[in-house]
Amino acid sequence: MAAEDLPSEFDVVILGTGLAESVVAAACSRVGQRVLHLDRNSYYAANWASFTFNGLLTWIQQHHEESQPEEVQDWSSLLEEGEELIYLSYSDSTSISNLQVFCFTSEEDEGEEAQSPDPPNTTEEETAANGDEDAVKAASTDSTNEDPKDKIKEVTDGEGEGQQTADSEGVEPTADLPRPSAIQGQSEASRKKISYAQLVKEGRQFNIDLVSKLMFSRGSLVDLLIKSNVSRYAEFKNVTRILTYRHGNVEQVPCSRADVFASRQLSVVEKRKLMRFLTSCLEETEEQQAYNGRPYLEFLCDQQLGDNLEHFLLHSIAMVTEDTPTEVGLASTRHFLRCLGRYGNTPFLFPVYGLGEIPQCFCRMSAVFGGVYCLRHSVRCLLVDKDNRCKAVIDSRGQRISCSHFVVDSSYVATEQKKVTTPTRFLSRAILITDASILPSNSGQQVSMVTVPPIAAGFPVVMMVELCSSTMTCLPGTYLVHLTCQSVGSAFDDLSPVVTKMFHTPETDDQETRPSVLWCLYFNMADGLDVEVEGHNLPSNVYLCSGPDGHLGHDHAIRQAQLIFQKILPEEDFCPPAPNPEDVLYDGESLLPTGGGGGDNSGWGEKGEETKENPQTEE
Amino acid sequence: MGGAAGSSHSLTFPGPVTYQVVAERQEEEIWERKGGDKCNFCRIWSFGCRTGPQQTRPDQEPLTEAIRVQSKASGAGVSMAGGSVSECKEYLFKVLVIGELGVGKTSIIKRYVHQLFSQHYRATIGVDFALKVINWDSKTLVRLQLWDIAGQERFGNMTRVYYKEAVGAFVVFDVTRGSTFEAVSKWKHDLDSKVKLANGNPIPSVLLANKCDQKKESSNNTAQMDNFCKETGFLGWFETSAKDNINVDEAARFLVENILANDKGLPYEESNGDRIKLDQETVAAESKSGCC
Repeated sequence: MAAEDLPSEFDVVILGTGLAESVVAAACSRVGQRVLHLDRNSYYAANWASFTFNGLLTWIQQHHEESQPEEVQDWSSLLEEGEELIYLSYSDSTSISNLQVFCFTSEEDEGEEAQSPDPPNTTEEETAANGDEDAVKAASTDSTNEDPKDKIKEVTDGEGEGQQTADSEGVEPTADLPRPSAIQGQSEASRKKISYAQLVKEGRQFNIDLVSKLMFSRGSLVDLLIKSNVSRYAEFKNVTRILTYRHGNVEQVPCSRADVFASRQLSVVEKRKLMRFLTSCLEETEEQQAYNGRPYLEFLCDQQLGDNLEHFLLHSIAMVTEDTPTEVGLASTRHFLRCLGRYGNTPFLFPVYGLGEIPQCFCRMSAVFGGVYCLRHSVRCLLVDKDNRCKAVIDSRGQRISCSHFVVDSSYVATEQKKVTTPTRFLSRAILITDASILPSNSGQQVSMVTVPPIAAGFPVVMMVELCSSTMTCLPGTYLVHLTCQSVGSAFDDLSPVVTKMFHTPETDDQETRPSVLWCLYFNMADGLDVEVEGHNLPSNVYLCSGPDGHLGHDHAIRQAQLIFQKILPEEDFCPPAPNPEDVLYDGESLLPTGGGGGDNSGWGEKGEETKENPQTEE
Repeated sequence: MGGAAGSSHSLTFPGPVTYQVVAERQEEEIWERKGGDKCNFCRIWSFGCRTGPQQTRPDQEPLTEAIRVQSKASGAGVSMAGGSVSECKEYLFKVLVIGELGVGKTSIIKRYVHQLFSQHYRATIGVDFALKVINWDSKTLVRLQLWDIAGQERFGNMTRVYYKEAVGAFVVFDVTRGSTFEAVSKWKHDLDSKVKLANGNPIPSVLLANKCDQKKESSNNTAQMDNFCKETGFLGWFETSAKDNINVDEAARFLVENILANDKGLPYEESNGDRIKLDQETVAAESKSGCC
């Protein structure tokens, strides 16, 4: 906590605490490299972060503010002979864009308002809704040519002018909410809306991810977590069901043997066909090979499975588009099937407390093995020698820190230094807080993966994840819904049609039975898939990590991290298991080191510690 | 618990806590101490007992506020403790040990868990947490996970991994370095902003004035410290010495007592039973024998 200076020499300096960077940090520290890990933000995980509700509001605020003009300082006094400078970007102004926020719930607690003489309870929701509708119209009628930042301001300003909608003035937690009346109010109405004030007050119960991904139970991230023992820092929930949106309804996709047989949507014939198809998929056959290069949909059609099964297989199991080649579609199908049953009835896991935990787990592992961590701290420029190698960096305090390797999140690197495919591709994201599940079930707490095929020609495929409160990502009584797709237009243009089709918003006032959207956020994020580790206009020992990519799994980031680690330390093992602290158990009666080699494994008996300090076994 | 500490001990610890250690260890005389024993350094005990002696016996169902006890460890632990505790309730508590660099966090943990003290300072490498198993009373087994901050997270930027689901904390400062005391409020504030109990209250925390063996003047600032604790929200404070084994045990006992009391007052959360630990499958598959 003290503002002491950093050590001035490291083996690896890593800038950015996203997933790939954090995995590299853990891997390097684990094998004894001296690692310095920095992030310009005050939080971990960069664009992989998760926030409390209030934290997210702050994040939104930050992205509204004009970024500080870059003050280029003269660091030439720190240069040694033959060195040159490469400046890094001061702030990340490009990876997030088109932020739009809507609040569709009343600002104050309804219980409280019920006590006031007017407005009467019945109209209150309506007026609130109307107010919001105006806001929505204001936003959506805005010409898209305008600066997105202005658009946001308009929306929030409109809300600020004494409307019933919420905005930043509600950010101050209102501690004086009359609790008893709120509870009373809840019992009155069967579907009581949670107010914005409540969202803010209970904001810390949210852990809202900027990215939305799931972990394939046999994917590279799960394998790495297990192999490295980083898994000890996290717990997971099964995704309990796969849903799909079809003919205006949300349907459950049968994806395990048990599901198939329990399914009420499928006929007996369909069940048999599906089982036969899935079984035959596992092996590669000549028949399948004959379809190589031709669309998977064509292959499915020729299997004469029928519309139902085609839809399930294409959109929900293979999760590919209609023109995906057969071999790719089959590979995805196999991957899906392989992942079934390892932990549950779907192939997916989701981390308790959100995906933002995962980079932090790797950071913790790095710190435990000596990695030095500093947030709100950046690197201003690189010092490059004649051989085009980065010898040192200058940090945001003007300190020269020497290093042998430099790993950096691509958002810190100026565009002219990067070789990226143009135009930059973006992901469209929407985050909704709703008051009910998209498909209510008896067991209540469901974690659902929902595939939404294009709602019309020209629209993207949307991946939707609905999280319940037992994932510790949202307030009990609410659901957190993440929508993601490849951008065609802005996030609002791409995703709001899906939201209005599937949820109850002021625009769809007649659809009371659907879950109501209480609050939602749209934004675009640069697609990390376009950034390569190497091949940029950068020194040879500088490696680029991309931000989050649009795939459902984490393979891209893990592969990147592994590649970078192998470049830095080609001889070393990637993330060998960390010793388990519980391998040495001490209790009141006796000392029983059960880990091999006495105390050395315990972690407490550090390497090189005098042997007389090792715990002795006493029976 | 001040002067009345002795008697409140007997109320609070119906089954004296035993901390017996390996016979060969030199420190053993100090450590073979029953719970009712009063050590000479308990003049500072006084503050923490604002709430009065706790009559509660932590013999109810373990609440989910405690981290879910991992099944692989539990069975063996109980049987080992010897016959009489077959119906023992087990708790697993995550306790944080925080404070500035070099105040002796690691030494305190080593002293408490391993009965070791090493003179030469070493930054903490490769260590997540240490586990101390306490036979609290005849019906209660407490597994205390003491989480050290990795020495290198010294700029105060701890990951959430470190804080999450902690149920208690020690904030440590070095009595010989005033600056480490000044940082205490920052650490406490950071702690309270990062982790809360399920009911929204701050987690119980205890302030440790470590290296009291090196204290130069014997000025009595007890009242000041008591006030400071009251203002900053500590349950109490202890002068400790990991080197001379002063009060480390007492402080831990005091904190655990409060954690157990908290545990009773809180409503059940819904079960965390369907949470998945990723190593479970591999543990089962490789039949990696559990502890002991």
